[in-house]
Amino acid sequence: MKQDIHEYLAELEDIPGTRVFTAKRARQGYWLNQFAMSLMKAENRERWKADERKYLDEWAMSEDQKQAILARDYNRCLDLGGNVYFLAKVFSTDGLSFAEAVSTMTDMTFPEYRDMMLNGGRPAQGNRSIKGKY
Amino acid sequence: MARITAGVASSHVPLLGVAVDQGKTRDDYFGPIFAGYDWTKEWEKAQKPDVVILVYNDHASAFDANIIPTFAIGCGEHYKSADEGWGPRPVPDVEGHADLAWHIAQSLILDDFDMTIINEMDVDHGLTVPLSMMFGQPDKWPCKVVPLAVNVVTYPVPSGNRCWALGEAIARAVESFPEDLNVQIWGTGGMSHQLQGPRAGLLNREWDNKFLDMLEADDDAVRFIPHIEYLRETGSEGIEMVMWLVMRGALGKKVKTLHRHYHIPCSNTAIGHIVLEPAA
Repeated sequence: MKQDIHEYLAELEDIPGTRVFTAKRARQGYWLNQFAMSLMKAENRERWKADERKYLDEWAMSEDQKQAILARDYNRCLDLGGNVYFLAKVFSTDGLSFAEAVSTMTDMTFPEYRDMMLNGGRPAQGNRSIKGKY
Repeated sequence: MARITAGVASSHVPLLGVAVDQGKTRDDYFGPIFAGYDWTKEWEKAQKPDVVILVYNDHASAFDANIIPTFAIGCGEHYKSADEGWGPRPVPDVEGHADLAWHIAQSLILDDFDMTIINEMDVDHGLTVPLSMMFGQPDKWPCKVVPLAVNVVTYPVPSGNRCWALGEAIARAVESFPEDLNVQIWGTGGMSHQLQGPRAGLLNREWDNKFLDMLEADDDAVRFIPHIEYLRETGSEGIEMVMWLVMRGALGKKVKTLHRHYHIPCSNTAIGHIVLEPAA
């Protein structure tokens, strides 16, 4: 049975601390994500490491997006249309593990985040819905 | 005739590939994860599948932000391991089964599934990690692979119901392939995990195990779980579990559970693994 697209999209915005990668975000973040994707090539990684700002200026990204990348502010990147699988090319190039990069988006240090995961992870309870608070 | 003899589901966390490639699979952290795959490794040696239809998602490796196929089938002769930013995994090339893949693609299109066809691509951890978990580190993978990539990144992703129906159509397609082939279908990804935002790190042991129970059941209630439930209960990346439903849909109404394994955590993720076979 087909769900109404407007209801469907509204629900996706009701999850605490989460930016679901909707078409709207995919459009906003298109060049940000394409930039990140380019780091899959070794020669591009070398050029990126040599001069990050110069490399970013080759891409049709907004200044906000460029600043967010330079600051490695991944939550800001998500707000500006970044997707974590694309952003992963940036933190992999930095030599960060997935878990360490992900921890920077939380209010925890990496050791605190790692301990939380070893102890069963973040509970769903209280984290399911902004409106419903459950 | 070709036939689907079993279905396997497994998480495909990239760190598992790192553990294999760096020989850490029996250390304190990874030991309990890999112990849950020992049974399956032995079972696969006895089963000797000719082909695995491997349902996975590409993580911005073969597909960039430009083209987003909902369902894409690899019809090539071979695939190389992708460079995901730290160099390609040192694993054998993946050999395709172009005849079976093209047969499935054509059959699915006639069956109202408008597939995207891929001739050349690199395959990332989503596909190579499950091969490592099931087959270890051989010089050459012991079977051919038909990659089936599902968009679970850009919303809307396909519904669980549609994934299940695709699995049913794949089973019909395989059964009409004239060559005598032992075919397995694998669904990969999951289980609960969230890799983004302040809610990152969410895991849900209770929900994941309910999902495993539903896969084992003789009814198809699991196909009707809406996206919002996966998102709320299992984290933003838990949605990958819809790919397990392609596998489950291909096995028919009743299944027998051969093996089941669950472990928390691996990096950011809950590890789930199940082996099912069709039951009369």
